[in-house]
Amino acid sequence: MDTLYIGGGTPTFLNPADWESLIEILENGLSFSRGVEVSVEANPDSLNADHMRLWRSWRVKRVSLGIQSFSTEILRWLGRPHDEKQAAEALNHCAENGFSSSGDLIFGIPGQDLRLWHNDLRILSGYVNHLSIYQLTAEPGTPLAGERVASQSEAYPLYRFAQWYLGSRGFLQYEVASFARNESWCRHNLSYWKQGNVLGLGPSAWGYLDGLRYRNVAPLMRYLRREGLPWEWTESLLQEDRAREAAILALRTRWGIRWKTFRRRFGEDISRELGKALSELPPDLFVKRNGRISLSGKGFRLGNSIWERLV
Amino acid sequence: MKRERIRNFCIIAHVDHGKSTLADRLLEFTGTVDPRTMRAQYLDTLELERERGITIKSVPVRMNYRAYDGTEYILNLIDTPGHVDFSYEVSRSLAACEGALLVVDAAQGVEAQTVANAYMAAEQGLELIPVVNKIDLPSAQPEEAKRELEEVIGVDAHEAILASAKEGKGIDEILERIVRDIPVPQGDPEAPLQALIFDSVYDNYRGVICYIRVVNGRLKAGQSIRFMATGRECQAEEIGVFKPGMTPVNELEAGEVGYLAASIKTIHEAQVGDTVTDGVRPAGEALPGYKKIKPVVFCGFYPVVNEDYPQLRDALEKLQLNDSAIQFEPETSSALGFGFRCGFLGLLHMDIARERLMREFNVELVATAPNVVYQIVRTDGEILEANRPSDFPDAGQIEEIREPYIRLTVFVPSEFVGKVMQLCQDKRGIFHSMDYITPERLRLSYILPLAEFIVDFHDKLKSTTRGYASLDYEHVGFRASELVKVDVLVNQEPVDAFSFICHKDAAYHMGQAVVRKLKELIPRQLFEVPIQAAIGKKVIVRQNVKPLRKDVLAKCYGGDITRKRKLLEKQKEGKKKMKQIGRVSIPQEAFLAYLNIGKEEED
Ligand SMILES: Nc1nc2c(ncn2[C@@H]2O[C@H](COP(=O)(O)OP(=O)(O)OP(=O)(O)O)[C@@H](O)[C@H]2O)c(=O)[nH]1
Ligand SMILES: [Mg+2]
Repeated sequence: MDTLYIGGGTPTFLNPADWESLIEILENGLSFSRGVEVSVEANPDSLNADHMRLWRSWRVKRVSLGIQSFSTEILRWLGRPHDEKQAAEALNHCAENGFSSSGDLIFGIPGQDLRLWHNDLRILSGYVNHLSIYQLTAEPGTPLAGERVASQSEAYPLYRFAQWYLGSRGFLQYEVASFARNESWCRHNLSYWKQGNVLGLGPSAWGYLDGLRYRNVAPLMRYLRREGLPWEWTESLLQEDRAREAAILALRTRWGIRWKTFRRRFGEDISRELGKALSELPPDLFVKRNGRISLSGKGFRLGNSIWERLV
Repeated sequence: MKRERIRNFCIIAHVDHGKSTLADRLLEFTGTVDPRTMRAQYLDTLELERERGITIKSVPVRMNYRAYDGTEYILNLIDTPGHVDFSYEVSRSLAACEGALLVVDAAQGVEAQTVANAYMAAEQGLELIPVVNKIDLPSAQPEEAKRELEEVIGVDAHEAILASAKEGKGIDEILERIVRDIPVPQGDPEAPLQALIFDSVYDNYRGVICYIRVVNGRLKAGQSIRFMATGRECQAEEIGVFKPGMTPVNELEAGEVGYLAASIKTIHEAQVGDTVTDGVRPAGEALPGYKKIKPVVFCGFYPVVNEDYPQLRDALEKLQLNDSAIQFEPETSSALGFGFRCGFLGLLHMDIARERLMREFNVELVATAPNVVYQIVRTDGEILEANRPSDFPDAGQIEEIREPYIRLTVFVPSEFVGKVMQLCQDKRGIFHSMDYITPERLRLSYILPLAEFIVDFHDKLKSTTRGYASLDYEHVGFRASELVKVDVLVNQEPVDAFSFICHKDAAYHMGQAVVRKLKELIPRQLFEVPIQAAIGKKVIVRQNVKPLRKDVLAKCYGGDITRKRKLLEKQKEGKKKMKQIGRVSIPQEAFLAYLNIGKEEED
């Protein structure tokens, strides 16, 4: 086991006693490699000193905080229970306890101008070496459905600014939504984009094992009572579709596709087809170096339109 | 017995003067339609007719009528359309009748199509019974309408029937007059069979169904028959009459109107205008039939998905059965692939055909901008016919371009006459004549390029006269004009479907409108897309579709991956519905919206 990610919202809901039994289960059930990357997700409002103590004494290295914003109005609009003070405190605690922390920020919120966004990026980048930025979308079926959120062209300056600003502060954009300083990539997330095996545990968790992707049943009681595999849904892609997906995922990252490895994994034909599809697009969307192709800064901004050519 | 008790007539009038409503009353009065199933404009059965409130197809119906003197008659009625684009439909119906009810709206008086249809009927020797309708309207001026019938058309109107189709007034009188005044059909039941096909329709079970008027002889179910134009022989599988639904009978005799089904699969075997005769004892010659009508407006129809080409052809063939004025032949467009160049009698006709193809035959299609036929005199003296812009040779090889002209007649209240003259002038019209019908109404006549007329003349006329003007036109041949071909280039590639012909003074203005519209409709791509309008090599207008700068970028871990892939697949499907021109995806609306450019420009 090279990486372990304890996420799914708010693991800080568990009290210290629960955590102790969780750790015991994991230690008994899994075998960790040396240098394993263990991350936990936390919300600024429910993180406390007990959690920190327990995690430090165990294997936790990374804490990923759902900051979202440092503006009170925006946090309130998003319906988040924390405020900007709690966010700063949580980040400070993580630093004091020696965790390498990461934060999420959201952009595209009504009323969020470049000045507010700059402020968010400035504060967070002062605390962390790793951060992710997401654009707000009003998906149907969510509380935000029907809200007027920023359009793609309104969101362009915000995303463009983040690319430039974080770059100037020593961050490298290593994925469409992820930035890291000093090579502090999230190795766990990288394994998704490399189509690596991921064992998903717990209700409604996703996993991927040698080409088979699955989702566990969502209701806790049904998950617990289920005999045998708790899978509620699975899919197994054909080799060709797997290749397309691998290419799309690889192009999310700054390492892109290494053609030699790709050909070996998926064969000559599909590699040539995908290579041709990409070669028909404007060259300034890509960086081509040492037998690799990856997206340029501009390419990252237009990922969807590029990947569409590969499905 | 029969012939003396048969009367065949149609109802003709200007658009909206109440033909179909009058037909409703006749159907009711004669008990042809069960009152429980009666609805307004009963004979307008096409979905489009009901939606737009106009008649598109002529419809025959057989009614039984017991006259005041107790005699039983068979009355065959044909309700006809009133719009100028469908006058061919009217002319074919006339050939199946001995008389016509000439309906005039008492409030509007004689209008352009009243005149055109009355003349057409008189030319074919039909007895005209004038009916002044809508006398219930407060604004009705029946005496005035009668005077116009006499003065403008020259019919004897002192016996004109005053009626209200809405309130059922005058219906009994109309029926009595039909019996009294309309001639008994001529023809000899004992002579060899001669039946005129005046219309047809395709039925999925029975194949082509021919609407016929038996002129001589008898047609029996099961009899062997021959189509005289094609020589094809077969058996009359089913014959019948319209009551109004198709109802089989054993025999149709000289003078009668009905239908014939004979397992005919294609239009080529049974053409409208052909004569059906007896297979064993054929007639010596065919009936005169119809003049082949020449379409005046052309456009390309293309399937949205190339693979649907055969379906489109099939649908066009079936539609042609029911609308013999449509013509089509295969053509290819570098932008749109395989499709058909189709000819129509007017823009409304074209629009209706497009809609019917989509609704009745479920084909999805793209229509290119309409145009007229041009004559091109080449520098080497040869004369070409071009019915689309891409038929034009290089500008250097063109000596002269000629375009079709029409003589337009407009009936207009005198208060609007200035505006109508202005409109005609804007459309490059040349004044011809003007005369007063009444002190308040004029007949204005202009010579006008057909191309200018088809774009939006009718709509413009309606809006400038608040609907008080009516029009008719006839073709007066070709005349030389200063025309140019404007090409439209998308990303440097000329898109043949967007090219158009226009007067040289309008080229810049039209090019501008087209380019602007396309810029609006072509979605942003990953690269900048220039859109240009050019005459020959000279670019007259250019605008760019700016490249896309950013699209949705969501996070993507675990299960997001599958969701993301599905989204991308859907996104790609959406693009497939667009037409790919080089590297640029162009949505279908771009091809359709093109048709409206002229209109929107001045709104
Ligand atoms: N007041 C009044 N309205 C009438 C009368 N007859 C018809 N109408 C109305 O006039 C309109 C046109 O009637 P239609 O019967 O569809 O006219 P049409 O001549 O068949 O029209 P086209 O087939 O499209 O040429 C409808 O709204 C009718 O309700 C009438 O006698 N009095
Ligand atoms: Mg009608």
